[in-house]
Amino acid sequence: MVGSDYLSINNKVLLIDTLTVNVSTINIDSLITSNQSRILIGNYTDPILGKVTSESYLKLTPDNYYIGSSESDTQTVTYVFDSIAMILKYDRYYYGDTTKTQTINIHQLTQKVKPNTDDTNFYNISSLTYDSKSIGTKTFHPKPIGKDSINIQIDATFGKNLFNKLYNNDITDANEFDDLFKGVVIKPSTTNSSNMIGFNTSSVLRLYYKKANSDSKNSLTKDFTLSDLTKQFNNILLDRTGTIIQNLPDSKSKLPSELTNNNAFIQSGTGLACRIDFPFINQLKYISEKGIIVDAELIIKPNKTSITSLFPLKDSLEVYESDNLNRISRVLTNSDGSQKLALLNTTPDEFNENIGYKVNIGSFLHQEMLKTNGAKSTLILAFPNISKGVNRIVLGNQKNAENKLKLKIYYISY
Amino acid sequence: MKNKIWFILFFTVQSVGLYAQSVSTSPYSIYGLGSLFEANFGPISSLGSSGIALPSTTFINNRNPASLGYIGKNSFFFDTGLKGFQTTYTSKSTNEKRNNFQFSHIAIAFPLNSKSGISASLKPYSSASYVISDYQLTIGNSNEYYNLDAASYGGLNTFDLAYGYKIRKGITLGLTTSFYFGTITNNKNFTIANSETNINKKSYYSGMRVTLGNQIKIDSTFNIGLTMKIPSQITGSKTQSVSTVNDTETLYIEENVDSDVTNYYLPFEFGVGLSKSLFKKFNLTIDYEKSLWKNTNQSSVYGEYKNQDKYALGLSYVKKEQSYKYADKIHYYTGFNYDTGFLSINNKSVNNMRFSLGVGLPLEYTKSALNLNYSYGIKGRVGNDLIKENYHMIGINLSFEAIWFVKRKFE
Repeated sequence: MVGSDYLSINNKVLLIDTLTVNVSTINIDSLITSNQSRILIGNYTDPILGKVTSESYLKLTPDNYYIGSSESDTQTVTYVFDSIAMILKYDRYYYGDTTKTQTINIHQLTQKVKPNTDDTNFYNISSLTYDSKSIGTKTFHPKPIGKDSINIQIDATFGKNLFNKLYNNDITDANEFDDLFKGVVIKPSTTNSSNMIGFNTSSVLRLYYKKANSDSKNSLTKDFTLSDLTKQFNNILLDRTGTIIQNLPDSKSKLPSELTNNNAFIQSGTGLACRIDFPFINQLKYISEKGIIVDAELIIKPNKTSITSLFPLKDSLEVYESDNLNRISRVLTNSDGSQKLALLNTTPDEFNENIGYKVNIGSFLHQEMLKTNGAKSTLILAFPNISKGVNRIVLGNQKNAENKLKLKIYYISY
Repeated sequence: MKNKIWFILFFTVQSVGLYAQSVSTSPYSIYGLGSLFEANFGPISSLGSSGIALPSTTFINNRNPASLGYIGKNSFFFDTGLKGFQTTYTSKSTNEKRNNFQFSHIAIAFPLNSKSGISASLKPYSSASYVISDYQLTIGNSNEYYNLDAASYGGLNTFDLAYGYKIRKGITLGLTTSFYFGTITNNKNFTIANSETNINKKSYYSGMRVTLGNQIKIDSTFNIGLTMKIPSQITGSKTQSVSTVNDTETLYIEENVDSDVTNYYLPFEFGVGLSKSLFKKFNLTIDYEKSLWKNTNQSSVYGEYKNQDKYALGLSYVKKEQSYKYADKIHYYTGFNYDTGFLSINNKSVNNMRFSLGVGLPLEYTKSALNLNYSYGIKGRVGNDLIKENYHMIGINLSFEAIWFVKRKFE
């Protein structure tokens, strides 16, 4: 419209894309891995971050403490032990090279599955003592998509003992059962593994028995299940020795991306997360007397060379607000209350400039701009299901020429 | 008589109705007080706005309060009018046409005695109404755009109280006190990236100004008039509300927060006018006015304030003032007005040139008349940041006279 130009004079609308953004890697040391409904087993050596190992602790309980169809089953006397096996059911999660075989070992726990601390959780760094003698081992080609489960034959002596205790009514309740059989740990062998495999919590320890002198084909079963999921957790460790993040400080500090080739790292399970600081955000206060950051678009790009078919991208990142000591205060949300995610934009353009995780953080930055005291907040990026998997990603900072982080701040004065 | 009153009532209601929704679409309505509006009573619009030297004998002359010294001692005047505009706005890149109707004024005047009279009038002073939708603008420091939807309504009005007094035969003095008041509401919606920001401003203005006037009758055919407007200011206050919505939340940044508005200064102005009747049938009016805007030391987003010169020339013709033939009593008017404007944009002034024609149709046996006028004008010029307006203006106003005081005497 003729004359509209005069309208633009009172309110300055600006785009600021030069604000300094500091990117770093932090180490969250207390991921709750109990009650996550995944048995995660395996190890692999990440070419960048080092060797990742996950072993799973689980308590297995029977529905009842007798053999046969009921406590008064007259047939019970005729039953004899046949065999025992751990049946691990794939939950379709895997990471790493599944064309390589994996060897797993099952050990009896020598300690009850009870948290050491005051709370009811187990963490990625939690562990329990176990008998060094394995009661079952298997080397297999993981087929997390093609097959339903794997079967690991368990030591017959162990199985027979379990059968007899129930057969003879030596065990009649949960406490007595706990004293006899505290649970198992399923460990990957220290060598010979290049992948992580997820199994679901309908996995069972299955005891086979049959009538004396009958065929194994007609055997009956008794299942020991994960009836209490809070009694199952994964111990996930990263051995960073010799890697670029060898000097990752404790959970209250950060490792600046400038010291790690202008990259920051996220790895689920082991607690690596990416922290983003906006050290000069309150300088924007001085653009005009009164102003609002109405929107801000943060695009953080995965390092292209770090993405392979073995280590694929996930389509989103979770965004948390935290303090300077990496203590998370809240998860960023959308206007409808749902969790705000940094979403992977894969729509290619001419220069592939748009491939990256994008999240709008205008409200967060506006709040930060207006803060008058020194308590700046930071953002922490992590994968969804951070406690369940071991996915990792390498993200570029503002100085990373190939995968440069971008921040566009939209500002209006009023 | 009854019919006439109904007609006046109808006319008034119509006018006030339009008044409430008067919309100026001039680009100049966007800033400050809005675009200024010139209201003239009686046939003055037809006379190129000239009339500083005309007496208020047949209509209320709002150009000079001293004219009220000549109001007939038995006359009661009522004046109201409407204006319609069709304007073509041309900028360097585009042009467009807009129409609007505008209430012009409502006024009454009556004598206090044989030597003096007073008038009261209400008229719009400025209009700040506009609507702009989906206007795309560049975001500073980038090649991205944002969208602006803006709407504004309201403006300033003036209420004038004028007094004229005949100090002796042939010399009158007058004084007008003008009260300025009004509210301008401005609402802007900025769509920037994934956010929408609303800025709502309400500005309240008020002010007062005094005009002094003088008219001298040199002889029965020749009058001169003088006016002087005292510098004054219109003070404003503003409340503002700001809110912004993005994908995370709705933030109420400000709610009805008071802030100052730049005061608006009205300059010292003076005017001189001549009125000369020729051959009994013609009357020539010439006005010159000067407004010292430069001394107000105010700035405008459009450009610099500069001193303003206005020249007005008018000629009227009536075959026979008193006649049994209706056609003889019709007044014909023509006028020309040239105004240098008070703004200089990129060192170019926004001048305004207008040519007008009109007729005054007498009603019954009083001095009442229905005045119709047409003007064509050109304002500004096309250039960098400049806009040219070509406008057609149609005006209609009723100048009504009642001889009430006489009637009461005979009742």
